[in-house]
Amino acid sequence: MADHALRHAPGTPAGTAPGPVPGPVSRSTPGTRRRSPLHPVVWLPTTVLLVVLGFAWSAVAEEHPYILPTLSEVGGTLVSDPLLFLGNAWATLRIALVGAVFGAGTAFVLALLMSEIPVVRRALMPLAVVLNVTPVVAITPALVVAFGFGMTPKVVVTAIITFFPVLINVTTGLRSVPVPVLHVFRTLHASRLEVLFRLRIPSSLPYTLAALRVVLPLSVVGAVVAEFVAAGSSGGLGTMIRNSAATARLDYVYAAITCLAAMGVLMLALVTAVERRLLFWHDSQQQPAT
Amino acid sequence: MTDDHIEIRGLTKRYEGGDPGRPALYDVDLDIRHRHFVSLIGPSGCGKSTLLRVIAGLESHDGGRVSLFGQTPLQMCRRKAVGLVPQTPALLPWLTVRQNVALPSKVNRRARRQGDSPDELLRAVGLDDAAHRYPHELSGGMRQRVAIARAFGLRPDVLLMDEPFSALDEFTREALQLQLLALWQSRATTVVFVTHSVHEAVTLSDRVVVMSARPGRVHEVVPVDLPRPRDREAVTGFRTNGLEQRVRASLQGAWESGAAPDDLVRR
Repeated sequence: MADHALRHAPGTPAGTAPGPVPGPVSRSTPGTRRRSPLHPVVWLPTTVLLVVLGFAWSAVAEEHPYILPTLSEVGGTLVSDPLLFLGNAWATLRIALVGAVFGAGTAFVLALLMSEIPVVRRALMPLAVVLNVTPVVAITPALVVAFGFGMTPKVVVTAIITFFPVLINVTTGLRSVPVPVLHVFRTLHASRLEVLFRLRIPSSLPYTLAALRVVLPLSVVGAVVAEFVAAGSSGGLGTMIRNSAATARLDYVYAAITCLAAMGVLMLALVTAVERRLLFWHDSQQQPAT
Repeated sequence: MTDDHIEIRGLTKRYEGGDPGRPALYDVDLDIRHRHFVSLIGPSGCGKSTLLRVIAGLESHDGGRVSLFGQTPLQMCRRKAVGLVPQTPALLPWLTVRQNVALPSKVNRRARRQGDSPDELLRAVGLDDAAHRYPHELSGGMRQRVAIARAFGLRPDVLLMDEPFSALDEFTREALQLQLLALWQSRATTVVFVTHSVHEAVTLSDRVVVMSARPGRVHEVVPVDLPRPRDREAVTGFRTNGLEQRVRASLQGAWESGAAPDDLVRR
């Protein structure tokens, strides 16, 4: 927040603007400054917890090597053949992203249609709810039968899993316009399209991005589930986990899980970066990130 | 001839689910002359905000006639001849101050209405230094000034203000009242101003319309013959006090006529 104030108004520190009303600037107070990531308060609690968990893991792994591989085994496996893991991670990531783009994109367009045309809303909403409550794992085998072992059924699973949260959030966001602002637009006789593009879609952005925050990690879940069911030729971390577990190569299983976790973290970081950039004006960005 | 003033005749407005015997507005007659500053004041529930929304074309009415210089509210909106300042500033938070002020000229371009340049408007409200800042970086008073600059932007034929200063502290409110008077003096337009402050109504207006509740109707129109242009001395003087007493007495009458009969029975 503070960096925005500086970027947009060089030379005018907040709260010292001239004019007859020297009102206090409500935000950008020192209390909301972001802490440096190097500050011990930020990294110490998590680090301590990680060390404790690592010792517990090692204790169990020494006792029962057939249940848990040691951390050094997992690390060694990752380092020994990084290209293998990168290749499989890319295969999974591609499915997750293509599916998410299709699912979230369709949901966004349908949410626009539903907000503008009530009949579409009444027709689609029950179907969307039914699609949401049906377990995706249950649909996946049927999709594999229908579409084969290639990329298609996996993308469809991912698209289905990402569809509903985006639909609901965007629908809510499009309706979250304050009435006084709507009144200003109506007295200007703005067209429906103008209200949609200048008011409703920007207002829905916080909701859309909140949905992406949920849905992007979910898309990886969808891709892995699909790979479990249709462990096909295209590889992927899900396929790798299934095959390695079947041959009791636990180090490969946990190395693949580590890759999946890293992918999820990267996706969250991406959404957070986009939110900082696009939603600088929104209340959610005025508080320090937790 | 109704082309030279705002004419409201027999206006009746009922809300769905409301008591049909007590409409929100009943048989309201009101004339507002061109370039007059008129305040609507009255106890809560007297329909002053409803009346403003009907004039703005934001709500339909059930009976009677509303003519704004010979046109319907909808025709006025189509020409972008109506400026609205709501109770909250109602700015778009993702646009800069300057872009917010320029908004009316960006939408509904078919109206082809030429207005003042945003920079000129911001200078008029003393915010030219804040042009590239965002609403969340401003104080409440500054945001409301942006909203006023936006409403004045297209030089509207009628400016409608719905308690625009009610959320501000007293010092800010008085500063903004004087600024509004100066703006109105320089780009004269017809103003309908809803308020619940007697002092504010007298300070700003040519006429104070006192309304009474249940049903909402015009109780009395009090003319304010203070000289123009008004400055801080003019609005704190002896005559202002007398006029405020006059409006307060009228409001008391309005409240009593609207309080009956339920309130009295219960006591």
